[in-house]
Amino acid sequence: MEKSINPKKLRTAPILSTIFMGLGQVVVLKEYLRGFILMAFEVIILLNCSSIFNSVKGLITLGDPHPELPIKLKDHSIFMMITGIITLVVLAIFIITYVFNVRSAKKSAEQIIKNGKYPSKMETRNNISQHSFPSIGILPCILMVAIFTVIPLVFSILVAFTNYSSPDHIPPKNLVDWVGLENFKTMFNSKVGGSWTSSFGRVALWTLVWAVFSTFTCFFVGFFFAVVLQDKRIKFPGFYRTVFILPYAIPQMLSLFVWANLLNGTFGPINRMLQYFQLITKPIPWLSDPKMAKLTLILVNVWIGFPYSMILTTSSMTAISKSLYEAATIDGANKWQQFKSITFPLVMRQLKPILIMQFAGNINNFGAVFFLTGGGPNVSDTIATQAGSTDILISWIYKLTMNTPNQYNLASVLSILVFIVLVPFALYNFMRTKSFKESEI
Amino acid sequence: MKQHKITGNSLAAFFLTIVLVIQAILVLYPIAFTVSSSFTKSNSLASTSIVPFPKEPSLYQYQRLLTNPDDLVKGTTDVHGTNYKRWYLNTLFVACANTILTVILCTLAGYIFSRFLFPFKKTVMASMVILQMFPSFIGMIATYVILWKLNALNSLWGLVLVYSAGSIPFNSWLMKGYFDTISKEYEEAAYIDGASPFQAFRKIMIPIAKPEIVFLTLTSFTGPWMDFIFPKLILRSDDKKTLAVGLYEMISGRSADNFTMFAAGALLVAVPFTILFVLGQKSLLQSLAGTGGKE
Repeated sequence: MEKSINPKKLRTAPILSTIFMGLGQVVVLKEYLRGFILMAFEVIILLNCSSIFNSVKGLITLGDPHPELPIKLKDHSIFMMITGIITLVVLAIFIITYVFNVRSAKKSAEQIIKNGKYPSKMETRNNISQHSFPSIGILPCILMVAIFTVIPLVFSILVAFTNYSSPDHIPPKNLVDWVGLENFKTMFNSKVGGSWTSSFGRVALWTLVWAVFSTFTCFFVGFFFAVVLQDKRIKFPGFYRTVFILPYAIPQMLSLFVWANLLNGTFGPINRMLQYFQLITKPIPWLSDPKMAKLTLILVNVWIGFPYSMILTTSSMTAISKSLYEAATIDGANKWQQFKSITFPLVMRQLKPILIMQFAGNINNFGAVFFLTGGGPNVSDTIATQAGSTDILISWIYKLTMNTPNQYNLASVLSILVFIVLVPFALYNFMRTKSFKESEI
Repeated sequence: MKQHKITGNSLAAFFLTIVLVIQAILVLYPIAFTVSSSFTKSNSLASTSIVPFPKEPSLYQYQRLLTNPDDLVKGTTDVHGTNYKRWYLNTLFVACANTILTVILCTLAGYIFSRFLFPFKKTVMASMVILQMFPSFIGMIATYVILWKLNALNSLWGLVLVYSAGSIPFNSWLMKGYFDTISKEYEEAAYIDGASPFQAFRKIMIPIAKPEIVFLTLTSFTGPWMDFIFPKLILRSDDKKTLAVGLYEMISGRSADNFTMFAAGALLVAVPFTILFVLGQKSLLQSLAGTGGKE
C-alpha cells in the first residue's frame, strides 16, 4: 500500500526549490498546496520584473525633469519614492520566503526519509491546522504594521537625505533630489544652518527641561496629595479623592483648550478676576510672554497629570506592609521619619520604571504643547524656522510638516533624532518585561 | 508638653485642609467655568461671567450645536447650525470600528506571540518593541500618500486603518503579556479533546483573558475621541470631521470666537466620558496597578 521512498530523489528537493521556488515541494515532496502557492508567488514576481526594476530605479533617481510635459504627466518624486519603498519591502518578503522555502524543503525531505514514508492525508491536515494557524493569524497584523508604520517610517528617514521642501522642491511641479547629509549640516552646523542651528539648540534644550519638569512636578504633586489623603486627621478624604481624579477622566485635549481660554490675556476670566479684585493692574501675559508661557505650560500640565500619579502612588502605598510602620513607631520614629525611610524609598523603587517611561512620554507630549500654546509665543527666529518659544521637538516636527512653507526634509532630520533618543527607553522598557527575562527572544 | 503636641497636630491638620480646599477649587473652577459658559447666550469668551453661573442661563449654544448646518437656529434669522451631530456619529463610528479591529487583531496576535513558533518570530517581536515607541504621525506624509493610493482619503475607514495599525505593536505586546500568565494546561486539555488551535483560542482562551480584553476595549474605544493629528490630515469635508477637529476649529480659526459653543460641545463629550471612566475605573485601575506593579 505504501509507496517505497527514494532518499536520493528526496534529497534533490532543496536543490529543485532553489532553482524555482516551490518546485521541490510539488515534484518530490508531494506538498502540492504549499508548492503551488510558492510557485505562484515567484511567477507573479517574475511577470512584474520590469515594473519592479523601474520602481527601484525610480527610488534611486527620483525622476527626471521633463519640462515639455504637462504637470500631470511629470515624474512625481514622492510617489516614486513610496512605490520604490513598497517594492523593496515586497522584494524583501520574496527573498525571505525563498530562504524559508529551501529550508522547509530540506526539513520535509529529512522528515520523510527518517519516517520512511510520506505523511498521510490525516497527518498533513493536522500539520496544516497546527502550523498555519500562527502564520495566518499573525499575517494581517504584519501587513497592517508594514503598510501604515514601517513604510511611513522608512520614508520619513529617507526624506532626511533629500531636499523635499517648499517652495522649490515640491512635486508634481518640481523634482526632489537626494542631497546626502546637507540637511543634517543645516540643523547641526551653525556655519551652514544659521538660525536653524540656534533654533534647534533652543528647542532641544527646552524639550529636555520640559520633560524633566513635567515628569517630576506631576509625580510629586500627585505623591503629596496621595500622602495627605492617607492622613487620619483629614476629614472627607473620599470627597477630595473623587474631585482630584476628575482631570484624569476628562479628555486631555478639552482641558487644555479650556485652560488656553481661561488664561487668555485680555478676555480670560482669570485675568479679569485678578483685575476685579485689584490684585494686578496689568493683565498677566500667561501665554504671550516666552518665559511665562513655559511656566504656565508646566503648571497646567500638573493640573492634568497629577491625578494619575496620585492613583499610582496611592496603590503603591497600600501595598506596603503595615508591620513596617508599627516597628518604626515602636522604635520612636515620627511621621516624617517614617515617610522618609519607609514610604518614599519603597514607592520610588516600585514606580521608577513608570517614572522613566513617563519621562520618555513627555519628550513626545505633543498634545500639551500644541493645544495649550500652539508652540507660541513667537521669538526672534520663529519666522525663519517656525519654532516658537514653547515648541518641543515633536511639535516643531508637526509644524514643519503641516504649515507652509513645508520643510519636510528638516522635519525628517528631527524625526531621526527623536528616534535615536527614544530607542534606549524602548530597550529599557523591554528589558524589564518577563519575556526578556525568560530569554525568549 | 502634651498640650503643645495636640495644638501642633490640629494646626497641621488645619493647614493640610486649607491646601486640599485650594486644590479642590483649582480643580473644580475650570470645570464649573466651562459648564457655566455653555449656558451663556453670547458667543464670545469676553462675555462669560467670571463667577460661575450666568445670570440668565440659556440653552442657545446647545441649540446652535444641534441644529443642522442647513437650518436656521430657532429664534434667529441669520445663524446657521453646525455639523456637530454628524461629527459625533463619525467619531462614534471610528471608535467602534477601531475597537473591533484592534481587539480581534491584537488578541489573536498576543496569543500567537505567547504560545506559538512561526518563521521569523524573534525579528517580528523585536521590531514591535521598537515600533511602539513611535508617535505614528512621524510618518504622516507617507501615510497620506498611501491612503491616497488606497483611495481612502477623506474617508472614516482610512482613519480606522491608521489607528488600528498604529496600536498593534503596543497592544499585541500587552495581550502577549497577559496570555503569558495563563497556564498552558487549559489549552492542552482542549487539544487532547481534539480541538484545533483556533477553537482552543476562541472557546478556552478568550473567556479566560476577558479582564484584559475589557481593558483593551476601553482604551481602544477612548483613544480616537480626542486624537487630532490624523483626522486633520485625512478628513477634508466638514461632514466627515471628527469631534476633535470640529471642536478645535470652533476656537482656533481666524474669526473663531465661539468659546461658549465649544464649552457646550465639550461637555456633551466629557460627560459620557467621565461616566464611562467611572464605570470602567475598576478595570483601568487594575490594569494600571498590574503594569505598574511587579512584572
